[in-house]
Amino acid sequence: MTDTSTAAAGGIPAQNSGAPEARSGFLSRVPGEGSFWLAEWAFPVFVACLAAGIFTGTHLYYVYDTGVFNDVAVASMLKAGMQNGSYGAAAAFGAGFLFARIIEGPMVGILDIGGSLQTGVGIGIPAMLLGAGFTAPLQHFWLAVPVGALLGGLIGIAIVVIRRATVNSTGGTSTFGADVMMGAGNSAGRYLGPLVIISAATASLPVGLGSTIGALLFYKWQKPLTGGAIIGAMLAGLFFPIPGK
Amino acid sequence: MNETLTVLLESLVIGGLIGFGASAGVARMFHAPKVQGMGAFRTLGELNACQNDPVAHFSFGLGFLFNAWSSAVGTGALTSDVDHRIVPHWSAAVAMAKNRNLDATLHNPRRMALTGTVVGMLLVTLLNTTAASIPHSLQEVAAQVLGPASEWLINPVMPIIFWMAAVDAGRRTGAWGTVLGGLGHLVMGNAVPGIVLGIVIGKGVDDLGWTKVTKSLAGVVIALFVASTFLRGVDITLLEQMKVHIPHWLTQLHDTTGTKPQ
Repeated sequence: MTDTSTAAAGGIPAQNSGAPEARSGFLSRVPGEGSFWLAEWAFPVFVACLAAGIFTGTHLYYVYDTGVFNDVAVASMLKAGMQNGSYGAAAAFGAGFLFARIIEGPMVGILDIGGSLQTGVGIGIPAMLLGAGFTAPLQHFWLAVPVGALLGGLIGIAIVVIRRATVNSTGGTSTFGADVMMGAGNSAGRYLGPLVIISAATASLPVGLGSTIGALLFYKWQKPLTGGAIIGAMLAGLFFPIPGK
Repeated sequence: MNETLTVLLESLVIGGLIGFGASAGVARMFHAPKVQGMGAFRTLGELNACQNDPVAHFSFGLGFLFNAWSSAVGTGALTSDVDHRIVPHWSAAVAMAKNRNLDATLHNPRRMALTGTVVGMLLVTLLNTTAASIPHSLQEVAAQVLGPASEWLINPVMPIIFWMAAVDAGRRTGAWGTVLGGLGHLVMGNAVPGIVLGIVIGKGVDDLGWTKVTKSLAGVVIALFVASTFLRGVDITLLEQMKVHIPHWLTQLHDTTGTKPQ
């Protein structure tokens, strides 16, 4: 990709890591400051790759009903549009998230993948395209990849530009509440486990029982409670299917 | 071409792309704020929690693999945990299997990107191709249990968590968060984006005062809210519900732009 790869072939040991790493070669060599991997202009490249994958995942979902990179609730907004043609909810939800994250990303130094790319590029922009009648980028794989990459590249460039105007400008010393949002984001994940158990208990009694026992076992084994609640519910559902509506 | 084969081949490409991008972005997070990273605050916190232990990274990712897998079964949605949790943690686990030096593994964007490419290819292909072979009763559980649970998480649980964080962060942040959160739910259907923007503005003004940067930030946010209001036809709904006569030109404007409320 850059001249670093040719240097690695010569087996030059890494500058920053200790002696034992010298033998492990190309992968373990630590890129120095100013190399491609830590460069500012490399950021749009990484965003372009990720966005291309996420947008193409939505193509897979549009054509083959699997593969969208989002949570069930958000994907179901797009699904609702695919079924009845009203894409307003998905488009506004996705675009709102995308916009918020593009403003927030450069301020805090971390671009949120979930809001910006998974919800914005994966749900919001496809909903806008479909709502406007452009189905081609979502119908065809070879069109989805470059369209996604282009969208990601533009988002990455926007982030770098805003960064130069705000955080990297002289006198700017605010993190714009990064710590506040970090705390909220960290605690949000903890709620999923109990929610799964409540939802399972609502679905049917055996499934709720299985979910509770699974969560208890995972908690005892010091694993994420959510995983146990899901596995327990699924095992119970395998033997005692949820009665149909 | 056979449908399963098409899904398999496309999944390999998609997985490679997301694995490469997400893992490089995650490694760059550890160099923030000097370098712009990509991931999430919770991803950073969770990676820090099991740093230096490949087994911890692997089992953390495994817990969410089941979540993603059961979600893919019922609904075709792989969950946002794929990019946020499974790919970063498994890439870290693979990278650290032989070498525990964080500088050379988790914090090294090249190592993480190339490991992540392989992890992503295998993971996405597994999720997309094996989902269809799951018994029907399991799909039912995934749709009826995980569906409502994640809906509740996005609304109302997450808005409340962010709201409380904004309120606890000071009077100005709490005020901005409350106003933009309430309006956000009205015009976007979810309060979280509004609250996050409220925190950004409130904290920015706390730290910097009303400078050119914070003023233009607030201006852009207000423009976003006005645009969303119009695009979703919220103005028409509001006038209707207040039993106010809707001007003819406004109805016509929404008709011609196709932005009538659903």
